[in-house]
Amino acid sequence: MAMNWLSALARGAEIPVFAVVGAQGLVPVEGLRHRPGLRLVDSPRHARVLLVAGAVDGAHKTELERLHAQIPTPRGTVWWQAPPLFQRGEAVAGDDPLPAIRAAAEADDPDQRPDVPPHPWQGMGPHGQGGRGMMGGNPYGRPMAMTADDIRDGLALDAYTARFGPFLPMWPPGLVLDMTLQGDVIVSATVVSPPIEQGRRGDAPALCAARMLRLMGIGPVAARMRGALMALPKGSGMRRRLATWLRGEAVAETPAPLSEALPGLEWAEAVLWLASFPPSRLRAAFLTKETA
Amino acid sequence: MTGIAMPLILVLLAIAFAVAMQRIGARTDATWPQRAPFLGGGLPETHAWQRFHVRYYPMTLLFIAFEMEMMFMYPWAVVYVETGPVALAEMGMFLGILSVGILYGWREGVFRWQ
Repeated sequence: MAMNWLSALARGAEIPVFAVVGAQGLVPVEGLRHRPGLRLVDSPRHARVLLVAGAVDGAHKTELERLHAQIPTPRGTVWWQAPPLFQRGEAVAGDDPLPAIRAAAEADDPDQRPDVPPHPWQGMGPHGQGGRGMMGGNPYGRPMAMTADDIRDGLALDAYTARFGPFLPMWPPGLVLDMTLQGDVIVSATVVSPPIEQGRRGDAPALCAARMLRLMGIGPVAARMRGALMALPKGSGMRRRLATWLRGEAVAETPAPLSEALPGLEWAEAVLWLASFPPSRLRAAFLTKETA
Repeated sequence: MTGIAMPLILVLLAIAFAVAMQRIGARTDATWPQRAPFLGGGLPETHAWQRFHVRYYPMTLLFIAFEMEMMFMYPWAVVYVETGPVALAEMGMFLGILSVGILYGWREGVFRWQ
């Protein structure tokens, strides 16, 4: 009896959803942000349901599977206006994914990725240290991080290289970058794949401004003051673009190539810089560079 | 009797609390994909063990230098009148040593407002 009462209460709670944005998926996902009954979360760790909104390229199948496996069990999957890339969950073609999300919140998908270490142990020694001495060896078959020349203030820090994207919630959806960071400073960036097509509606000023303000953690009331603009770094054009969007006008600037613009920026600055361009312009910048 | 029982009960409660926290905190059911950092589907190529610069380090140095000055100057002020110029010389040496740390902090740019 008590359990029924508890589960009835639990059913009334918001469902934490991690949204993967595919082609033309940005506008529908932004529409979900204020729907009662669900809450969009920023990491799969906090999610109950994986929502794939819009078609995702088959090249990103492994990344999507990894994301699915990173959601703690029990988990469910919903493919909203997207052809399923793997046989889990339910596909929805209509405008409202909420009933399917509710159903997925009761589901329990098995793991989509094998439960094995991504980089198997290849070293020697009882602790995987892979060699002798303080700095010797390659643990897990990979060398330890070493310091490299710092481009900010000369303090040498360890370089961290990783592939970021394509489904980072603070980034343009679909963008994949191979980046090297030292602390929070980006040292080098290489574009692996461009952002996904979002259509003309993805460039709507209100939508772009809302996304940028959300990344800054500033509410809509504060945005009417000059506080939002003052919080942005000077000289990067971010203030100008956000002000244009807040006036309700479209931004028609094209970003410089990322491999030149991103190095030297700090992580949070780079995230805001990327968000200060309309999705179609970002995508166009990559496509023209590839054909040229 | 209660003099022994109360600390014992407290110790037992503390142990029970520690064991309970250990049980709650230990998540051994995480799969390998869940143990990897969330990079939006990507996977890191380097180890997680990284050396990271502590940016507040020069500020800490400056704080310690001034705090040590104040800490020893209070008792010194109490005995200064009866001890006389010897105390003045000793404090001068002490401040001299500490000011080397402040000069170092100055060189590292700790007084620059950013």
